[in-house]
This record gives sequence, C-alpha cells and structure tokens, in this order.
Amino acid sequence: MPLTLLKSDKAIPEREKHTYIKAASENILPLSNVQTTPGDFTERGCTYAGCLGVVCGPIKDVIHLVHGPIGCAYWTWGGGTRQNLSDNPGFHRKYCFSTDMQEDNIIFGGEDKLYESILEAHEEFPEAKGVFVYATCAIGLIGDDLKGVCKRAEDEIGIRVIPFNCEGFRGCSQSLGHHIANDTLFERVVGTKEPEYLTDYDMNIIGDYNIQGDLWEIMPLFERMGIRILSTFTGNASVDDIAQAHRAKLNLMHCQRSTPYICKRMEEKYGIPVLKASLFGVEQTSKALRDVAAFFGLGDKAEEIIKEEVSKVAPKIEEYKTKFEGKRVFIYQGAPRAWHWVNMFRELGVETIAAATTFGHEDDYAKICERVNDGALVIDNPNSLELEEILTDLKPDLFISGLKEKYLSYKLGVPFINGHSYEKGPYAVYSGFLNFARDVEKTLFAPVWGLIRRGKDA
Amino acid sequence: MRSVTINPAKMCQPIGAMYALFGVHAAVPLVHGSQGCTAYPMRMFNRHFGELVQVAVSSLGEDASVFGGKKNLVASIENIIARRHPALIGVITTCLSETIGDDIDGIIREGNFEESKVVPIHTPSYVGSHVTGYDNALKALVTSLSVEPDSDNAKLNILPGMVNPGDILEIKQMLDSMNVSHTILSDISETLNAPLMLPKPPFPRGGTSVGAIEDCANACGVISLCEHAGGSAAVFLKGKYGMAADTICPIGVANTDRFLDAVCDMTGAEIPYSLEQERGRLIDAMVDVHMKTCGKRAAIFADPDIALALAEFVTELGMEPVIVSSSTASRKFLQKAKSVTDGGEILNGRDLYELHRVVKDKEVDILFGNTKCTPIAKDEDIAFVRCGFPVYDRVGYHRYGIMGYHGGMYLTDMITNAILEWGER
Repeated sequence: MPLTLLKSDKAIPEREKHTYIKAASENILPLSNVQTTPGDFTERGCTYAGCLGVVCGPIKDVIHLVHGPIGCAYWTWGGGTRQNLSDNPGFHRKYCFSTDMQEDNIIFGGEDKLYESILEAHEEFPEAKGVFVYATCAIGLIGDDLKGVCKRAEDEIGIRVIPFNCEGFRGCSQSLGHHIANDTLFERVVGTKEPEYLTDYDMNIIGDYNIQGDLWEIMPLFERMGIRILSTFTGNASVDDIAQAHRAKLNLMHCQRSTPYICKRMEEKYGIPVLKASLFGVEQTSKALRDVAAFFGLGDKAEEIIKEEVSKVAPKIEEYKTKFEGKRVFIYQGAPRAWHWVNMFRELGVETIAAATTFGHEDDYAKICERVNDGALVIDNPNSLELEEILTDLKPDLFISGLKEKYLSYKLGVPFINGHSYEKGPYAVYSGFLNFARDVEKTLFAPVWGLIRRGKDA
Repeated sequence: MRSVTINPAKMCQPIGAMYALFGVHAAVPLVHGSQGCTAYPMRMFNRHFGELVQVAVSSLGEDASVFGGKKNLVASIENIIARRHPALIGVITTCLSETIGDDIDGIIREGNFEESKVVPIHTPSYVGSHVTGYDNALKALVTSLSVEPDSDNAKLNILPGMVNPGDILEIKQMLDSMNVSHTILSDISETLNAPLMLPKPPFPRGGTSVGAIEDCANACGVISLCEHAGGSAAVFLKGKYGMAADTICPIGVANTDRFLDAVCDMTGAEIPYSLEQERGRLIDAMVDVHMKTCGKRAAIFADPDIALALAEFVTELGMEPVIVSSSTASRKFLQKAKSVTDGGEILNGRDLYELHRVVKDKEVDILFGNTKCTPIAKDEDIAFVRCGFPVYDRVGYHRYGIMGYHGGMYLTDMITNAILEWGER
C-alpha cells in the first residue's frame, strides 16, 4: 500500500504525504518535521514547549524565568501536566517565574524589567544555582538583547544566568526547542565543573526526564552492575550534575529525539561514545543492560541482574499476555516512545495497528516502520479529525497518547492510557513494565465501557 | 512592587476567549499564533472539565512572523470550513499576531467567507488577563453578530462569565422556575459537561446558537454575572439598543436576592414559592453550621467578580474576609473590595507568592482558591475550599454550581466540611 489520504483530509491533500500504510516491500516513509497545515487541528506544541517544557524544565535547582506575557509561564508551572519528579519538589515543582510583559514593555522594550526580574528572583531564592531565561514569541519580535541583559545580571549576582532563544514561532514543532536547549546547555553548562573524583565506570543517562520516577527505577539497575551515574540529562538533574557530564566514559541515550544533539557534541568535543537504548519492556531493557555491560566489560554482572529481574516479572507478564492476546493498539507519542513501545506491546501480545508521532523525524519513522507489521498505519503529526477517523474506522482496543487526546478517546468509547505523563507509573524497565501492564489491564477491562449506550438523535 | 512575577494569579487573554467560544454551538476557536498557544490552554480545559476540546491554530512560523500571517490565517479558515462546516469561527489573536500587527479584521472582511460566520477577537496576551480575554470575546460576538431589534422576544440575556457548567445550570433552573425565557451568552453547561453517548456528535450538543446571539438585541434586558467577564458586552447592548442592563454576581443570599429582583424588574416575572423555599433551605443550612463558620478568618482568591461576591457570602456566614485577592488588576475591583472588606487586605492582581505571604501574616483559617492555591493551604495548614478555574487536583468541581440559593447550599456545605476536615487546628 502506498501513501494514502484519509477521508477527513479531502480538503487538505498535502496530508497524504504524511500518511503511510506500511508494506515491507516498499521503501517509503511518511513526510515529517515540516510545517503543520494551518488550521488542521494539530496536537503539536511550540519551540518554547520543547525547550523549557521538555528538556530544561526538569532541572531542579535553577530559577526558570519566562520572559514574555504571562500565559507561557503559567502553562509550564510545575512542569505543566508533565510528571518530571525530582527530589527538590518544594522548589522545582512549586514556583513559577515570569516577567509578565505588559503593553508598554512590548512597545518600549522589556530589558529593564527582565534585568530587575532576574535580580529579584535571585534575591527571593538565593539558594538557586542559576537563572535560565526563556524568550517567548513577542520577545523575538521586539528584539530585546537577551544575551546582554543576562550577562549583566550574571556579573551582578554571581551565578550563571543563561538565555534560551526558544520563541514559539521558531521551527515547526517542539523539536527545534529540544535542539536549542541541547545546544545552549552544552555551550553554557557542560564542562564548567569537574567531578570530585572519577571512576572507570562513570556513565551519563541522557534523555530521560524521570516521568513519575522512571529514573529511580532505571538507575539502580546500572548501579548494581557497578556503574556510577555521573549525570542525568535532565530528569532530577542539578545544573551541577550537567556541568560535570563531560567526564563520563559513556552516554546512554534514552529519548533519541530530544537529545541526539548534545550526545553528538559531547562525542565530538570530549570523545564520549553514545549508546542508544530503549528502557521499556523486558527484552529492550535487558539488551540495554547487556550493551552497557559489554562496553564496560561487566558482562557477567549484567546477566546476574537480568536473570534476577526477569524471574520477578516474567510469570506476571505471561499472565497479562494471555489476557491481552489479540488486542490491537494505536500508539501516538511525541516521537521515540511510539517505536519504543511497539516492542513492549508485542511482549504483551498486543499488536500495533497504527503509530504516530507529534514531532518525529525520518529516523523515528524508519524505526516505527521496521517494527510494525505490514498494513499498519503510520502517520505523522496527526490532527484531531484524523485521530477521530482512525479511532472510529480502525477500532483499536486501546489508544495510548497524551492528555489532549484522552477525552477524544473516551468520548469515542476507546480505552486509553496517558503515555506522556503516565497513569500510575513509573513505566520504565522491568518493574515499570508491570505497572504499565496493570494499567493496560485496568482500562481494557473496565466495566464502564460495557455500559455505554448509543444515543438516538446523534 | 516586584518586577518579577512569582506564581502568577492570572493566565493570558486567549484562553478566556476560548472559554467564551466553547459555549457557542458548533463554534471553532481559531488561535492566530504559535502552536503552544493552543496545545497548552487545551490541557487546562482537559484537566478542569475532563472534556475534549478542539481548538485550531494558524501555526505561525518564522516566515509568517516576518512577512505577516495573512496566508496562514486565510488557509486556516478555509480548511476549517471545508473540514468541519462550523456555524462560527472565532479568530483569537495572541501576543505574536498582535505584535506582528496582522489586520485580522481586514483579512476576514476581504476573505468574504460565506459558509461560516467569522468573528475577529482581539486578545493581546500582554494586556489584562484571561478575564479580559473572555470579556473581549463576548463583546466581539455580540458586536459582530447581533442584529437590529425587530421584535420584543421578551427574553432575558444572561452573560455568565468564566463560571462552571454547574453555575449556569443553577441560573437556568431559577429562571425556568420563574417562567423567564432566556439566552445565555455563552452557555458551556452542556458543551463542557457532555454525555458519553455513541455515536459522538461532530460538535458537542448544546451551547448558544449563532441565531440566538443574532437575536440578542430583541431581549428585554441583560444581566452580566461577572462584570469583568461579559460586562463590556452588556454595556454595548445597553448603549446600542437601549436595553436595561445590570451586573450582579449571584453568590450568597443578598446577591441572589438582588439578582432575582433584577430579573423581576426586567421581565415582570414574580418569584415563585419554590424559590422562596429554596432560599429558606439555604438559610436553614447556614443556621445549622453558623457555630462552625462564625468568626473564621477567610482569604479569598478568585477572578474579580467572584472574589467580591464570595467575600460578601462569607460575611453572611459570619466569617471575616481578611484577604480579598483578584486574579486580575482592576480599579473597579479595588473600589468594591474596600466596601466588602472591613479593613481587610486587598490584593489587586498580585501574584500568589504575595498572597501566600499575606496569608501567613493574617492568621487565616480558611482559604478559597483554585488548584494553584493548594500548596498555600497545605503549607499554612489551613482549611481550603476549591473554587474558580482551574481546579484539577480534585474531580467534579465543574459539575456543581455555587451560584443561586441552591448553589449557596452546596458552597455552605463545602465550606463547613473543609473546616471539619481541617479540624479547627
């Protein structure tokens, strides 16, 4: 099957290039990472969301100061709907900082207000280890000298003050925001502090945001092997952890859409090799442990841990698999989890009949197409009407997506899991896999689905 | 005053405009801005209402920001009409499109879109707050759509403001019991508390029809429940069509009495015995708990009109409103707040960090506010009543109204239960 045009897209035929029904005999990928069709009811966010909302927001001990009118700061307060846990929640998830630009600031410039705001925020929270300043849309247009103001404030308060030029209108999705955050953190933070000591087993985990505590399940597995996690990027990260990341022997990259940029730059500048991993499900987690162990020459230790962990979860996974056999899922995630989870669902006996990403690039779609069966629908940047059509026509047993799509799924009577911020995670590695399977079971077999009636007037 | 805002009390204008448009049947909010301007507010609605919301965005990128967003806006409107055939599209501006300076009124006029009404709504995010955005949207709807009166339809226009579906139901029930026919502008009571019945309709059932908005000039009067969120539309209706207009937020006994009196004055209706009974039940509920409520020191945070009305209601319950705090700065709020608090602290559009500081200072027993206030109540170990928007750390708050006598009973019970749970520490 070739590229295809959904019924709801007759008026916007350019969507055909983004909509592919997989056939192994072909070498086709849906078009991705381009501007959204205006007015198509996209689910996408902006560059600011990718920069602060995704990559920088989890950093737990800096003041995240949003320069612009108030809304943008309000949305990302406490991580917004994201569940980036940290061990400093009383600061990191509690406070929200903004310059709250008013009309006269837009007309006459906001530099003075920004400068004052940085100083005052520091005065209120002197324990914060830095101030990160994010430019929102209007700032890019009025041309405030962010760099100059931040430099001046940094000289005054003596802690790092770092500007991020992540105006929402740049780029076509959150993706460019990830890149801007990576580059800025690499240029301004990485390499600015030396670790107290070094070991031969120092590793960074790059691209995990500790959603509902994922990292707190992931890290012990490696630590039991004798690895020291030097730095996490950016789940539960202190800015100081990121500052010393350049001394690691290996970068383990989890989210391969939001962090390949910093991995590449660390490889180029500091010679740190990169290992890509999927830390979801039994097989993928075991592979990651083996790969890391092989790199550090710790093969036997990995096998011991894998054996122990697998023995704990395998019987339960078998039970779930019997219950779920034959079920069909539609996975729609930001990007990598769409392909991370195809294999995880397969381990549960669930077939992926459709997969989509909000801001994936070609390499994400290549991995999705490698993993799904022939006939599966692979669609880039699906909009609300397309999602409704897919849920209605393909009738998956389960939809896994984010909050905005949750109530569409519910209103159509389709069981749903929030894959962005989770239902009751963590979902990573072996222990999280059981949480995930439990949540899938809950929604698939909730009695309420059987009580829905068809209305007469609709 | 600080330059930096810490823990903001307000959101920006576009989300208020979306709120207003969700109450119009088969309307599509189209945000002229970047994609975050829809993705983020949509989640706020999802969390508060537990409902699907669909908002379109013109996806302004770097090119549009340099050369103007006309191409994106026209394409957006055409795409929405072709794919969804809405009755109405409300074009909501943002800080981005306002700073670029797109002439959306001209673009819409030139576009000559026939199938759907297209209404320009100016909501620059750097002015006012979400409340201002609701006010601007409602004024734009009424200004663009209302037609010269040709008959007296004897209806009453109610402009509810940013209240919950449950509040609108309370208002409707009171008016229905008085046999007063009414137009609610705009009416989210069904659209944001929608049933799950299959098949799912293309647009949620309910909401104010475009026809009803066009017809609103024929009404005998208009009452805005929240002056800051709908008052401008009422002023327009009064000024242009000479319609009787009033603004009353019917929270509490006296405010509901005043509301019903105004309804009677405008429509000639009478207050039925059933409403007298309901009033009696509210009084009964208040008497039952007055030993718990009297003397408590209350801090109230809400949108301006709700904050003022709540302050009056807690006073009726024998509490002392020691702090009255508005999400949105306004001269009117400041004036009225002075009359509803007896020397209490007035925070006029200050942030929640400042509210927290004052709560510490004032030995508050009970706090009223949205979910963003929860940490204040927890830190200070005081009773907490959730109200306003957004409330998402508990479910169901959108379903139940706090307006009218019946809503007042619910609120009285909520307040008392909050005090009981707190345990009068």
